[in-house]
Amino acid sequence: MQNKKLKWKSDFEKSVIIENFVNRGWIKSQEKEEESTDWNVYWATVWNVRNIFNPKNGFRLNDQQIINHFPNHYELTRKDFMVKNLKRFKREQDKEVLETFNFDFLPTTYIFPGEYSLFVEEFHRNPNQTWIVKPAARSQGKGIFLLRKIQQLKKISGTTVTSNMTQLNLASKENYVVSRYIDNPLLIGGKKFDLRMYVLVTNYKPLKVWIYNKGFGRFCNEQYTTDVAEIENMFVHLTNVAIQQYSDKYSQKHGGKYSIDALKLYVESAYGTDALQRMMDDIHNIMLTSLKSVQAVIQNDKHCFEMYGYDILLDSNLKPWLIEINASPSLTTTTPVDKNLKMNLINDVYNIVLPNDDFPDNEQKCNYLFIQCIEQQPTKVGGFTLLYDESLDPNNRKTQKRQSVKIWK
Amino acid sequence: MQQLDNQEILMKLKSQKQFWDIKKKVKQGFSDQQKIGINDIQKFAQSCEIEDQLIKLISHILKKSKKRETLKEDQIEFLNTSKIKWTELLFKNLDIVHQKAKNQEEDDTNTDSKLYIYDEKNLLAFLQTFKQQQPSVLYQNVQFQSNKLLNINIPLKSSQQILDKYQYILLQEELPEEKINKIRKSIENEHLDIELEKIAQTYVPNGERCLLYLKYFEFDHQETVLQQNFAKLQKECQNQLFIDELLEIDGHEISEDTFYFVFQEQILTCLKCFIRDKSIKENIRIQLQNGMKKEHAEFQLPVAGFFPFKNISKYVAPLCYLSTKIHIIYALFKEFFCRYFCFLHAISSEYNSILSLCMQIEEIVSTRSPKLFHHLKVIGCDTLKLIIHQLIYCFVGDMDPPHILTIYDQILGHDSLEILVILCVGFLNKYKPKLLLAKNYENVQQIFQELREDKFQELVQFAYKQ
Repeated sequence: MQNKKLKWKSDFEKSVIIENFVNRGWIKSQEKEEESTDWNVYWATVWNVRNIFNPKNGFRLNDQQIINHFPNHYELTRKDFMVKNLKRFKREQDKEVLETFNFDFLPTTYIFPGEYSLFVEEFHRNPNQTWIVKPAARSQGKGIFLLRKIQQLKKISGTTVTSNMTQLNLASKENYVVSRYIDNPLLIGGKKFDLRMYVLVTNYKPLKVWIYNKGFGRFCNEQYTTDVAEIENMFVHLTNVAIQQYSDKYSQKHGGKYSIDALKLYVESAYGTDALQRMMDDIHNIMLTSLKSVQAVIQNDKHCFEMYGYDILLDSNLKPWLIEINASPSLTTTTPVDKNLKMNLINDVYNIVLPNDDFPDNEQKCNYLFIQCIEQQPTKVGGFTLLYDESLDPNNRKTQKRQSVKIWK
Repeated sequence: MQQLDNQEILMKLKSQKQFWDIKKKVKQGFSDQQKIGINDIQKFAQSCEIEDQLIKLISHILKKSKKRETLKEDQIEFLNTSKIKWTELLFKNLDIVHQKAKNQEEDDTNTDSKLYIYDEKNLLAFLQTFKQQQPSVLYQNVQFQSNKLLNINIPLKSSQQILDKYQYILLQEELPEEKINKIRKSIENEHLDIELEKIAQTYVPNGERCLLYLKYFEFDHQETVLQQNFAKLQKECQNQLFIDELLEIDGHEISEDTFYFVFQEQILTCLKCFIRDKSIKENIRIQLQNGMKKEHAEFQLPVAGFFPFKNISKYVAPLCYLSTKIHIIYALFKEFFCRYFCFLHAISSEYNSILSLCMQIEEIVSTRSPKLFHHLKVIGCDTLKLIIHQLIYCFVGDMDPPHILTIYDQILGHDSLEILVILCVGFLNKYKPKLLLAKNYENVQQIFQELREDKFQELVQFAYKQ
C-alpha cells in the first residue's frame, strides 16, 4: 500500500527530491549525522555512497533500504572509465561471431596521460582536426577547452608542451580525456545544442533499463561557428547550463532548454519520420551498449538503482554521439517547465523502484508467483518506458534488443 | 476573371501527371481492341471511376485559373469608412511609437517596451466602437442585445452550421500504423487541392505536413524560384527600416517561449523580408488597411501594404518546425498569412474576418452557456476580451506546437478560420467551473496564469459540451 511511513534521507537540498518524499507521506530521518543509518530511502551523493559500500566501515544495508547509486557507478560515469570500458567491450564483441552492438557513437578518444603518444600520432595525421579536452572526473564544463595546437596542453601540464614530446606529465593527479571535436553539430536557429536524457537502471544482472520520455536540448546562446577566433568562446561551443547561464543572452524563462518532444517534432517534420526513427534507434543503441559495456564490471546490488543523465550530441546528419554519462544529473530547476519535468521524473523513479512503497525483495519472496510477476511487470510507468529487460529472454541477446526496441516503439 | 477555352484546358491537363496516368489506364483498358468509339470510352471511364478523376482534375484546373482578387471594398459601406478610420488611427500610433523610440534612444533609463503599432486589445476596442456609432443600416432587423460586445448586422453563418461542420473531429480516433502509411502515400501521390484538403481535415502525419502544404500551395517544384525570391528580399533587408526595430522588439516575446526561442533569428528574418515583399499586395485575400498618402514618405504603409502588429512573430513560429530551409518557411508563412491570417486583422463583414468570428463566438457562448456569459459580464470581464488573444494568434503560445499545427491543418483543410471559433468556445467551456467562481478580473487573470496545457482535441470536445 502506498503512503507507508518510510524514512528518507537526502544529501541534496533539492525541492524536487524533498517535495516528492513529503508528498508520499514519508518521514525525514531525524538522525543528523552524515553516517546515520536510520533511513529506508536515501538520495545520496556519490561520495557518501562510496563510504557506505566501503567494507572498512562494516556497514551493510538491510532489506528495507534503497539507495540511488551502484557502488562502483564511476565505471560508467567517469569519462576515462567510460571510454576504457567501451573500448574493452568493443574488443570483446569483435571476437564474437554475432555482431549485436554498434559502437560507432564514441568519437575517437584518448585518455591522458597514458595514451598521450597515441594521441600525438593521430594529431599529426589530422592537423586540421579540433579536439576537446576534458578532466575525467569533473562536471559542469569545468576545465574543458578546445585544442588546435599541441602547445595548448600547457594548460594541463603546467609546462611547455612541444609536438615532438612522447610523454605528458600532468600538473594535477587527475586524468583527462581528449576526444575528436564534433565540429558539424546539428544546429537549430544556427545554435549548437546537446541532449540530456534520463535512463533508470534498476538492475545490472540481469540488466533492466528504463528510458524517460521527457528530456531536453541544452542550447548555446551564441551562433555556432568553426571560426578559429571563436574557439575559446565557451558560449558558442559548450552547452552546459552552468556555463551558458553567464551569457548576456541567457533567458531565465526557458534557460536555454528545449524539450525533447519539441525536438522530435522538428526532426520528424523537417527530416521525415524515418529519419526520426533512425535517430531514436541510434540513441537507444548508445544507451544499451554503454550499459552492457559495464554489466560485468558493476557491482550489482539489490539495494541500488541509478538514474543516469545521458549527454548526447547530434551531428548535422542526425547521427547521435555519446558525450558523457552523469551519475548525479542536476536536479536544480531553472524554469517552471523544468521543475515539472524533474518532479515527475523523481516521482516516476520511485514508482518503479518502490512500487506501492514495497521493497523489491517483497515481490520476489513468493516463488510460486515469480513467473507471474515477471509476466505482469509493466513496460510503462509514468514517463518511463522499459527499454531493455534481459530477464525476458536471457539466452538471446539479439531477440532482447529487438524486443526492447519494439517495446519502446 | 480569366476564362479558359477548351484548348487551354487541354493544354493545362497535359501538364498534369494525373492526366497521363488516366490516359495510360484507358489505353490499357482497350489494348486489344481495334475500333474504339466514344461510347466505349465513356462506359469504361464510368466503370473504373476514371470519369470522376477527370472531372476533379478539370475542376482543379478551372479553380486554379481563377485569379482571386484582393478584397478591398466591403459590401457594407460603414465598414469601408471604418477601415479608413482604423488606418488613420494606426498612423497616429506610428507617430507615437516613433517618438517613444526616439526618447528611448536618448534616455537609456526609459525602457517602455510598448513599442508596437497595435495589439489585439486595440483592435477589439476599435470594433466595439461600431456599436456606439450606431449607423441605422447596421442595426436593421437586429434584435439589439445590449449584453453583447459586438452586435451589428453583418451576414453570419448559423452557430449550428459551424458546430455541425466540425463535429466529425469528435469521432476521430488514433489511427493505426497501416492507415497512417496509406495517408502518407496519398500525400506523396496527390496533387489536387480538393483531395489535399480532405487529408488535412482528417489527419496529417508530421513527416508529410510540409509536403502537403507545399503541394497545396503549388510550391513543390518551385524550390529554386522560392530560394531566389527570398534571396532578393534578404538583400533588401540590408536597408534598415524603422519597422525593423518594431519587429526586433516583437521578437523578444517569442524568444522567451520554450517552444520557439530556438527559431528567433529565422522568425525575424522572415518578417523583415515579409514587410518588404511587393507581391503581398497582389496575393493577399483582403486589404488590411486603406493606405493613405502622407507628407513624409517614411510614414506611408510598408511595401507589403499594412502595418505589422504586436505578436506578428507568432504566426511564423510554428511553421519553423516544418523545414530547415528558411525560404520554405517564408513561402509557407506568406501563403498562410495572405490566405487566412490576414482576415484576423481586416475590418470586414467576410465570414473569416475578425468581426464575424468574434460575433460567432459571442452568439454560441451566449446561447449555449448563458450562465457563463452573464457571469463574465457581471464581473466586468467580457467573453471576447477573455479569448481575443487566443483567437487572433490562433492559440500560438497557449498550445504546444503539435496542436497548433493541427489547427493550421484544419484552417487549410476547410479554407476557413472557423475552427478558431470552435476552439475558443471549447476554451471557455473548459475553464467554466473556475470562471464561474471568479469574483473579478484579477481572479480571472490568475486562472489563466496557472501552468496549463490546452490541447486541440480536448478543446473541441469541450466546445460540444453544454
